[in-house]
Amino acid sequence: MHNYYETGWWSSSYNYPAKRSVGTDPFERIERMASASAVVMFSMSTCCMCHALKRLFCGMGVNPTVYEVDEDPRGNELERALKRLSGGTSAVPLVFIGGKLVGAMDSVMASHISGTLVPLLKEAGALWL
Amino acid sequence: MASQRLGEAALSESGPSHHHHHIPYSLPHMLHHPNTSFINQEGSAFDFGELEEAIVLQGVKINNDETKQPLYTTVRPAATLEMFPSWPMRFQQHTPRGSSKSGEESTDSGSAVNTLSTTRLEPDSPISRKTSSDHRLPPPQMDTGSGVDSPRTGGSQTQPAAKQAPEKRRGPGSNSEKVLDAKTLRRLAQNREAARKSRLRKKAYVQQLESSRIRLTQLEQDLQRARSQGLFLGGGGVAGGNISSGGAIFDMEYARWLEDDHRHMSELRTALQAHLSDGDLRVIVDGYIAHYDEIFRLKGVAAKSDVFHLITGMWTTPAERCFLWMGGFRPSDLIKMLITQLDPLTEQQVMGIYGLQQSSQQAEEALSQGLEQLQQSLIDTIANGSINDSMHHMAVALGKLSNLEGFVRQADNLRQQTLHQLRRILTVRQAARCFLVIGEYYGRLRALSSLWASRPRETLIVDDSSCQTTTTDLQMVQSSQNQFSNF
Repeated sequence: MHNYYETGWWSSSYNYPAKRSVGTDPFERIERMASASAVVMFSMSTCCMCHALKRLFCGMGVNPTVYEVDEDPRGNELERALKRLSGGTSAVPLVFIGGKLVGAMDSVMASHISGTLVPLLKEAGALWL
Repeated sequence: MASQRLGEAALSESGPSHHHHHIPYSLPHMLHHPNTSFINQEGSAFDFGELEEAIVLQGVKINNDETKQPLYTTVRPAATLEMFPSWPMRFQQHTPRGSSKSGEESTDSGSAVNTLSTTRLEPDSPISRKTSSDHRLPPPQMDTGSGVDSPRTGGSQTQPAAKQAPEKRRGPGSNSEKVLDAKTLRRLAQNREAARKSRLRKKAYVQQLESSRIRLTQLEQDLQRARSQGLFLGGGGVAGGNISSGGAIFDMEYARWLEDDHRHMSELRTALQAHLSDGDLRVIVDGYIAHYDEIFRLKGVAAKSDVFHLITGMWTTPAERCFLWMGGFRPSDLIKMLITQLDPLTEQQVMGIYGLQQSSQQAEEALSQGLEQLQQSLIDTIANGSINDSMHHMAVALGKLSNLEGFVRQADNLRQQTLHQLRRILTVRQAARCFLVIGEYYGRLRALSSLWASRPRETLIVDDSSCQTTTTDLQMVQSSQNQFSNF
């Protein structure tokens, strides 16, 4: 079972602090980055599970856009935000397809096994027949 | 009896050290029957040797602790009795002779004397002490006493007591006619005694080692037997070597899960044969799926406490371990096995099954590559740790190791999702048959492990014309084959 999130889902649950400029909020950044490509993966260069997920996509013929959070100057706050979004113990890997949050490794694999991942990828334009 | 009392007292003093050294021979037995062994010996000399051996052992352990009282009645290892064959005659001949030697410096001769007197008189130390001090000393050749650290007469190893007797004995001894030879004789005696003492010590030590070795091999055999029996019982449950508590707990839970599995399978079998309605069958099938969910949950808990136990497959039987992938079965292998067993399937179902096989294969490949990268990273960390910051590298390595749990969790997640997807693709009846097939398959794999473990080791497959071997098992096989050929 995978989670479908609307693009602006977080705005209902997250209270914007009063005086924050648009660019610095990590959640906004994440949303912007996630919407930029069909398949977006937040990763860390040292994370082996992220490597596994990359291999999964490549094996399927998908070319995801990968953001290495540990190479980002404001990676720490990104990491914190990602952790909250995933609702779990690890911030990475975290996958967005078509701008929508799919989830971490277990969600992606469950989606693939249940056969819902490929249609989702096709819908987002990341996979062709 | 006094000696018995004393013996026990000595045992209590030296008890810990004895247990520590695991002396297997009849030490305690002898201790409680000092008189029996005493009396049963063929002569005072023999007793003396026994005594001396006991004292040697005492000395080896207690290290000449002067405060201890290793009475002659203490240790009496039966196994070493035959080690002193040359004693009796010499000893008896020299017994009546008086002598001035009583080693004041070395308590050996003194002790020899004392014990000698003691054996002759009474096994009561205090009394013997008294009597020995009043008697002339036998010549120092009674090395029966040699090698004994504690002059027991009276068993007291306390120096004052030891000194008293020698001094007293020296008195009368020095008055004997061979005054000039006395010193020389005494020196020679002391040398002999020292030599014999060390020989005895060596013998005792070797004897200890051999007994311990025998004991060790026995223990190993027992352990091996217990392990192989464990294989029959729990399907390899607790048959491992060093199991952590987390691993042991999981093994127990897994054994219980296997019993439940057996029950579920019987239920499925009877339900299929009874041609129950789909609704009833669905309940049973869903119950079986929940049963599988349970083992994955248990494995998740176990992965937190002991991931190595899971990932090395110590919880499974050897045959299962042979096919192990990331701490469990490989989903694509299971699908491959099922495809042939699940006929008839609709075309849509066939496509669904093949799709499932493909996606599980891709997921397995991805996880395997991720694990491979983890291993490579670990290798680099461990190899590149310099002496200066080795602790830091160890900490980094530990952090990397903790990722193993994630991989086992994801692999179990994959297995669980595969089973759920199978349930979705198949009808209720097909799913019932499917899970029955899965259960039977792994049951056979476990049975294979047990059979393998119990197979006769030397048996070879023999043709009539093949070479002969000399093993009895093989001969038995051949003879049984001949019997069958008559039919």
